[in-house]
Amino acid sequence: MSGTQPQRMSSDSPSAGSDPDVTTTSDLHAPVAAPAKPTERPHPLTPFVRGWLVFVALAIGWAREFVTSASENQFEPSGLVWILPILGVVVLLAAIAGFISWYFTRFVIDDEELRIETGAIFKRSTKIPFERLQAVDIVQPLVARIFGLAELRLDAGNSTTKLRYLTRSKASRFRDYLLARAHGHQASIRDLDQQAVASAFTDLGAADHPLVQVTPQRLILSFLLSTEWLIPTAISIIILVGTVAFGVLPLALGALIPLLIGMMSLIWRRVIGMFNFTLAESPRGLRITRGLTNLTSQSVPINRVQGVKTSQPLLWKPLGWYRVDIDVLGHAQDDGDNSEATASSVLLPVASRDEVELALGRVLPGFDLDGIELHPSPTRARWLRWFDFWTLRYGWDDRTLITERGWLTYVRDVVPHAKTQSVRVEQGPLQRRLRLADVHIHTPRGPVNAVAHQLDEQTARELALSQLDRARAARAAEREHRRVESVRGDDHQGETKLLASFGTGRDQLLGWGGESEVFALDHDRVLRLYRSRHEAPRRTAAQLKDLYGSWRAVDIGIELPMIMELGERDGRFYSVDRRFSGRNFSSWLQYADISQRRPALISFLDATERLQHLPSPVPGFARLIGDEAPQQFTTLGELLAAMLKNPLRTSRERLEHDVPGISEVWDRLHADIAERTVTPALVHGDVCPPNAYLSQGSDGPVVTGIGDFSPHTLHADPLMDVVGALIFLELEPYADAPADVAWLESVAVERYGLEIIRWIEVYRRYYGFYFSNAHAVEPALYAWCLRQLSR
Amino acid sequence: MDAARSLNLAMEELFAPPAYEWKRLSPKYRSMRILTTLIVTPVLFTIAAVIVGVTSGMWWISGLIWVAAVVIVLIRLGFVTRNWRSWGYVEREDDLYITHGFMFRSLIAVPYGRMQLVEVESGPLERAFGLASVSLKTASPETGARIPGLAPEEATRLRDRLTELGEAHASGL
Repeated sequence: MSGTQPQRMSSDSPSAGSDPDVTTTSDLHAPVAAPAKPTERPHPLTPFVRGWLVFVALAIGWAREFVTSASENQFEPSGLVWILPILGVVVLLAAIAGFISWYFTRFVIDDEELRIETGAIFKRSTKIPFERLQAVDIVQPLVARIFGLAELRLDAGNSTTKLRYLTRSKASRFRDYLLARAHGHQASIRDLDQQAVASAFTDLGAADHPLVQVTPQRLILSFLLSTEWLIPTAISIIILVGTVAFGVLPLALGALIPLLIGMMSLIWRRVIGMFNFTLAESPRGLRITRGLTNLTSQSVPINRVQGVKTSQPLLWKPLGWYRVDIDVLGHAQDDGDNSEATASSVLLPVASRDEVELALGRVLPGFDLDGIELHPSPTRARWLRWFDFWTLRYGWDDRTLITERGWLTYVRDVVPHAKTQSVRVEQGPLQRRLRLADVHIHTPRGPVNAVAHQLDEQTARELALSQLDRARAARAAEREHRRVESVRGDDHQGETKLLASFGTGRDQLLGWGGESEVFALDHDRVLRLYRSRHEAPRRTAAQLKDLYGSWRAVDIGIELPMIMELGERDGRFYSVDRRFSGRNFSSWLQYADISQRRPALISFLDATERLQHLPSPVPGFARLIGDEAPQQFTTLGELLAAMLKNPLRTSRERLEHDVPGISEVWDRLHADIAERTVTPALVHGDVCPPNAYLSQGSDGPVVTGIGDFSPHTLHADPLMDVVGALIFLELEPYADAPADVAWLESVAVERYGLEIIRWIEVYRRYYGFYFSNAHAVEPALYAWCLRQLSR
Repeated sequence: MDAARSLNLAMEELFAPPAYEWKRLSPKYRSMRILTTLIVTPVLFTIAAVIVGVTSGMWWISGLIWVAAVVIVLIRLGFVTRNWRSWGYVEREDDLYITHGFMFRSLIAVPYGRMQLVEVESGPLERAFGLASVSLKTASPETGARIPGLAPEEATRLRDRLTELGEAHASGL
């Protein structure tokens, strides 16, 4: 064993060092691959703008010399005169270096490539593939702005490439073009020639729609009231008053000067840098423009957001203001320019609650942060955190983990599970005595630092270990999502446009299934986009719309689905549905505590029972949705046999192979069903947690809505839904599901008597046959079917 | 001693990996720590004592410093074994667990899918003792997962295994 032996792993993860996505060739003296096409140089004023400080220094030095030699009485330091020529040489050298650097910088941005060549002696050619561009920002420092110039900052993978300076119009044109290409659109640079041009003051394109604008008054007031400003101010005043009172002011300077420097830098970052802050929605995602002297326009790469921190200094509380920072992968590692990195992690410097919610909705689409129940740390934490133990809270759901702390500055950290890197439990000697421990959730470098402080040690352990499972599940879901997206790859482009025409986008995806995807439109409506271009889903949706319409006047005490609009746009079939209030029951179940889960399951059973009171458009046993529906049958047996005909056509052979004695099971099912006498009532046919919605009731969460009626919907035996509600629960992936099913069965026995046990067994077999054609698409469901049939 | 042991057991429960046994560090790591404790503190304190004695001429102060050095070394020697024993790691199906610390205990869990870099390091002293350490990097600087004091074969085995698992579990960010 000797020395260091690092080994690099997965190539799609960012890490320090060279970026494999950006090809850079360096070559001594050799010309870079003969450019056949014309390359451009940055604007000729570039060396001046970059070196303006040196020029200003030269001018001041010269002026000083002039002034000092002109005034006779002035004390003239003889040493200073000697510095001036040296300064002159330095300035000259700097100017030459600046000129050479500009002269040898060339770039190509056209329909084929994005390439930048730099270096006089060490030639360097950087080629960035369009699809690897993560963000394209425009920065206009004060001097550049005066000359109408701007810097283009290209963020690819882990490295930032700067192209400076270009004329402002050119920079914004390139930005629009590069962002279009980065999103996979086949734009041409020539098409964009007449596009809207950024101005020197706001840099908002014509197509940009501002979401949040921070007025200078609010920015300055919020700054003056912020804890991070008031504390150094108070300290400075105390020092100043104290030293003046004792007449030892010079002694205080040692402490005051660093404080003042810190305060100046704070003003620079929080006020000057954030001046005219605008968060806007552009056709290419969220965009931030800000800055008084340096006008910066940056895009927010939503897929790279690793966490969100919301904070509120104490004095902002009465005003209802918050500040939002985000962890963006790669941002904080930018070339050591620290203040710039912290500035670029600001999502909102100061905003009202509504504005924060609006912005969070864009950055963490589909997350229900308010619905997450927060748990306080145990009160014995007061011995260690006497100054803020009452503010410590944590909570999680299936997608995110939240921690809260602090009252001088309240801080809430939100980490999506899929972004969790690693987890650490810590316990010091005092904590051990109090049986407390801290849990750290690690995220990439940035402002977010999620720590659940001072939990009970057992809770801490459970939280830490289960967090990894949640992270794994969330990553698997994301991968699945990406896979589904890539399968439909060629469809993507048209779809983005289609979604945009509805005012929504892929980031608003709420859920997806085999047939359709659902996107949020607003608080009350969702867009359901069907995958297939066939007639069948269209007919189904039309039938469902009529069915839901016929229930509009019926109140059975739970929310039912409603289709508001059906249509076709760009060759895709869609519907606009009413959005259910509350959250998905299935995703809640995974993490709910047993004390809440069991009452919620009772309410789920109640909701299921209510469905039978819905009126049917036709009397008697019938199929309500699907081809040739409504289709009436004289007996329950005939209806169910007809329902099983279709799935069995594809799965019969497989079942005969997988279940010994299947024909016996089949005969017994029919014999049993023939014995059932029942008045037909409405049957949803697929009452399962993923189709149910949960809201916060007065005594805890209750199921308040059931959606997704489908071709499974019948007018038949109402017990079918009761049994379905029990047995489909087995398909939920949480660990206690089997125990919950057994428990819910005992509840059903209490309500319906012992006889229901028989019908649970009968309909288990029925659904086992009914869903048996799932083996190709949902192996887990097929395995479940086999279990039902082998009982 | 019994009280300490039962306390230790309670802690083991909090920091134990579920349904696994900790793998411990090589005993040579303890030897190395004993050696560094025996050398570093006495050398530093001797230098201080000599300087004090020479400059002030009050050699009894130097004597006190030497006594202090002996006491500190003894205390630290007591901790070396506990510290060595507190280290543990275990490779689970999806993640690696590392625990350490005797006063301040910590348990860290790193999913294989999140590892970006696995490094084996061995400084001159470690090499002399036939030891190596393995450290893991994720996208988060806070992860800081490091296992010191492994036998070189174990360190390379662990690195290769982790790299393999990392590739199998790799996920984007």
